[in-house]
Amino acid sequence: MSLESRELEELKTKIGRDPTSTELQIVAAEWSEHCSYKSSKKHLKMLPMDGPLVINEKGYDSGVLDVGDGYVVTAHIESHNHPSAVEPYGGAATGVGGVIRDILSAGTRPIALLDGLRFGNIENDQHAKWLFKNAVTGIADYGNCLGIPTVGGEVEFDECYKNYAMVDVAAIGFGKKENLIKNHAKKGDLVVLLGGATGRDGIGGSQFASDSLETEDRSAVQIPDPFIEKLIIEAILEARNEQLIHAMKDLGGGGLSCAVSETADALDIGIEMDVDKVHTRESDMHSDEIMISESQERMLIVTDNEKLIKLQKICEKFRIECSVIGHVTFDNKMHVKKGETSIANISTDIVANATLLDLPSSKPVYLENIESTKQFPQLSDYSETMMKLLGSPNIASKIWVYGQYDHEVGIRTVTKPGHDASVLRLDNGKSLSIKIDGNPKQCYINPREGAIGCFEEACRNVVCTGAKPIGMLDHLQFGNPNDPEIFWTFLESLKGLTDFAKDFEIPCVGGKVSLYNETSDGPIKPTPVIGVIGLIDKKPLRIQKINSGDSLIMIGATKDELGGSEYSEYIHKFVGGKCPAVDFEESKKNMNSVLEIIENELIKSAHDCSKGGLAIAISELCMTNQIGCNISLEKIPGENLDSDKILFSESHSRYLITFENKNLQKLEEVLKKYNVSYSLIGEFIGNSIQFSNDSKPIIDLSVDKAQKTWFNSLREMVLRA
Amino acid sequence: MTNYQVHVTIENKPGISDPEGKTILNDLVLKGTHQNVSEIKTAKMLKFSIDEKDKETAQSKVNEICDELRIYNPMVSIVKIDVFDA
Repeated sequence: MSLESRELEELKTKIGRDPTSTELQIVAAEWSEHCSYKSSKKHLKMLPMDGPLVINEKGYDSGVLDVGDGYVVTAHIESHNHPSAVEPYGGAATGVGGVIRDILSAGTRPIALLDGLRFGNIENDQHAKWLFKNAVTGIADYGNCLGIPTVGGEVEFDECYKNYAMVDVAAIGFGKKENLIKNHAKKGDLVVLLGGATGRDGIGGSQFASDSLETEDRSAVQIPDPFIEKLIIEAILEARNEQLIHAMKDLGGGGLSCAVSETADALDIGIEMDVDKVHTRESDMHSDEIMISESQERMLIVTDNEKLIKLQKICEKFRIECSVIGHVTFDNKMHVKKGETSIANISTDIVANATLLDLPSSKPVYLENIESTKQFPQLSDYSETMMKLLGSPNIASKIWVYGQYDHEVGIRTVTKPGHDASVLRLDNGKSLSIKIDGNPKQCYINPREGAIGCFEEACRNVVCTGAKPIGMLDHLQFGNPNDPEIFWTFLESLKGLTDFAKDFEIPCVGGKVSLYNETSDGPIKPTPVIGVIGLIDKKPLRIQKINSGDSLIMIGATKDELGGSEYSEYIHKFVGGKCPAVDFEESKKNMNSVLEIIENELIKSAHDCSKGGLAIAISELCMTNQIGCNISLEKIPGENLDSDKILFSESHSRYLITFENKNLQKLEEVLKKYNVSYSLIGEFIGNSIQFSNDSKPIIDLSVDKAQKTWFNSLREMVLRA
Repeated sequence: MTNYQVHVTIENKPGISDPEGKTILNDLVLKGTHQNVSEIKTAKMLKFSIDEKDKETAQSKVNEICDELRIYNPMVSIVKIDVFDA
């Protein structure tokens, strides 16, 4: 695994000589797709990254948002797809560790984690089950050992991830604005490597992540050690409080090569270092191996002579190793020595800035007719279809997953997993709401509308807690970008996200691109995962139990949009049809009206309508509240449609509002003010879920029976051999 | 058919870190008076009791079971299989 011949020629021209073997390794790591973003960087610039709350500082690995009263929130998202596909336990766990250190490197304490997990068909694929089970355990073990709550996420299964694992981890940090690390360096400052020893694990990992799994040698396995990570967190935060850190970066993909060159490039300095000073796990490691090892739980810190003594004391106290590996110079070069011998001496600008590519793109042929609709055969028994959907892997309750995570440690979690979005209490009396969402089924059918849909869904989820979206994280996961058709889907998704972000003034505060996600059956479906962070200035919505006689209002129109729905794909095994599209104007009106009715304390709960359509969303309300309902389909806002389209279409911008009847008038005043399309569609009563159309009964399901299936089926699928 | 005891030892491949072993070494053994210990590695052992016609078959059968049921991940670990007469 090394540079392409074109890149090697370029490197030779740039440095005017043949590179040494160490230089070659360093540059190969740093110019890999994983570290350099060479295929995507040119285009990512289209995303809006500035906003009134965004704090930009050079060299940050995470986005920083000002939440007032001298406090900041940091956020970042990462994936560990390739490592998790070969070693799900360690891969998923070290994925959590990596993103936590990104939060830490800004000088903030990690306070919450979210995970997006995607696997193949767990109903009949043993390997998918094995990957799923172990990835969940890996995340649970790592997060639980650290005392950082895993507050939310999502889980999805699709044939396109056969023999593969998509593990996305988002982390949220919190701290005082004055404690943010202001990355800087003076001449003579020291470069310190702190944390776990450098070993042979994960050698070449970043290049591994930049190849499809079919061709690699599967050596990039990392073993997680959450207890060292915990010690690093505490040591770093103590060093931060004592102002011992001039600049800091976590070691991730590309190991020392990337951390050193990127730090030097960001701070406009040079760094001279000695590989012999790096504390290693094995004594016989080659210099090149030390430079590109991706051993976990390590941080690079720039400090000065005086502060070093205090830093060493802190490390001693927490019993973590730290070694001074080099110092800051002002020649903008990355100079690597082994003892007295120089083994690499190369301009940081060359190492850290790979030539960006402008890859060709062309609209995929498969998209030609994919959105033409198909008339499904008339269902004979809707109740039976409902039961099938409630027990399907994508719709069934994910309690088997989040039940393994500690989601309350740290006592900030106000709204816990299992609701639309999680809510965290902040020290300044405000609350933070977060959610991540993806939808590869819709993104496959329409990469642009699908990506916008994920973004809007995440916004809807935080809006349902009473939070106004203030920032977005994007994680763009696609197949091999050298395929023009795949690259086209990447660009379309990105353009869609950009349009939405600009229109709604939600800045992108962090993100990640993961390419070359391919399985033996071909590329994965386009899988952008969008995280949205919302801020609640006053009180978050206090979700109240629904009682008999309470009513249900639906906001937002239901449209003929069955494309990519669970109903099409799971029940009718049909991939295609019209993909749900977001109407920006409608979306904005609906969001604002929901925020106002929550602020006015007029409702008991707000729930968004997404996977499985309104039939599933309403059933979820019934099952979690142990109460029946009586819903009239003819009252659902929107065009006049067949029952199956009304029930299962996954149109966006829709909310279900439950409330006590006495608030109806006040509620309607707000909804009319915003001119949203809404309607009173039914009430909660009895103990069965009932839907009727023009008084003709369509669905009648016992809440208990539905709840049992919905609640237990995922666990049964996993544990059934 | 004879009964055999088959011991399956599963440990991380050389070079892959072993946080548990390292912790036992640093925080337990070296804290005592046993300064001559330089390394401790953890492993997991499964003891199978199996009826087979001979030692070789007993070993290959257990090996097969471990591979098929993913008792270990070959990406991370190595296994050693020892057969003893019951």
